[in-house]
Amino acid sequence: MIIVNLDVMMAKRKISSGELAKRIEITPANLSILKTGKAKAIRFSTLEKLCEVLDCQPADILEYRKEDTNGQ
Amino acid sequence: MKWNQDKSLNLSIILVKVLFILIILLAICVPVMVHWYDITLPNGAGLVKGSIFVPLTICLYLTAILGEICLFHLGKLLNNIRKDIIFKPENCQHLRYISWCCLLVAIPFGIFGIWRFLGFFVAFAAIFFGIVLRVLKNVFVRAVELQEENDYTI
Repeated sequence: MIIVNLDVMMAKRKISSGELAKRIEITPANLSILKTGKAKAIRFSTLEKLCEVLDCQPADILEYRKEDTNGQ
Repeated sequence: MKWNQDKSLNLSIILVKVLFILIILLAICVPVMVHWYDITLPNGAGLVKGSIFVPLTICLYLTAILGEICLFHLGKLLNNIRKDIIFKPENCQHLRYISWCCLLVAIPFGIFGIWRFLGFFVAFAAIFFGIVLRVLKNVFVRAVELQEENDYTI
């Protein structure tokens, strides 16, 4: 599964949700969907803006983690 | 007068409401209409001969109930469309009920076909509409999935 580590990067860059949403031109509600991992997909344009504003690489925001089939 | 989508939607809602009331009024007159039909066309083609008063009255009352359920859900569906709630699971549920109502209408008319073969044609038409609506419902279910995917694409 894909884990969104946006909150970690935001904490590292000391940027609030409201400011980030404003700078990447998405609504705070959509940013919340992204942060909570409810999003089903992310546009390249959004990812590009996130990387630009947070000065990071896509891998710093997105992480692949193998799902535990035992449900643990 | 410019005919737009809103006017078309309002017309549909009005027609559904008018038909809803009309079915109630017609249901009151069912015994009179069936009696008149029985007297006017007493010798229709069918397996069972004789009066069709009881079977046709039961058949029409059952159809009226299903028709009202169908119109109720159609009204709800149109109201949702007016509120811009279109590709939502509840609309799929409304379409599912409408489809089932159409399919269920085939049962009383299929049975009435024993008295008058004409009933089989109505039953066939009801099944046909039911299947068309079922396909439409399936398309709607897929559209709901696509809409959800689109809503959660940031």
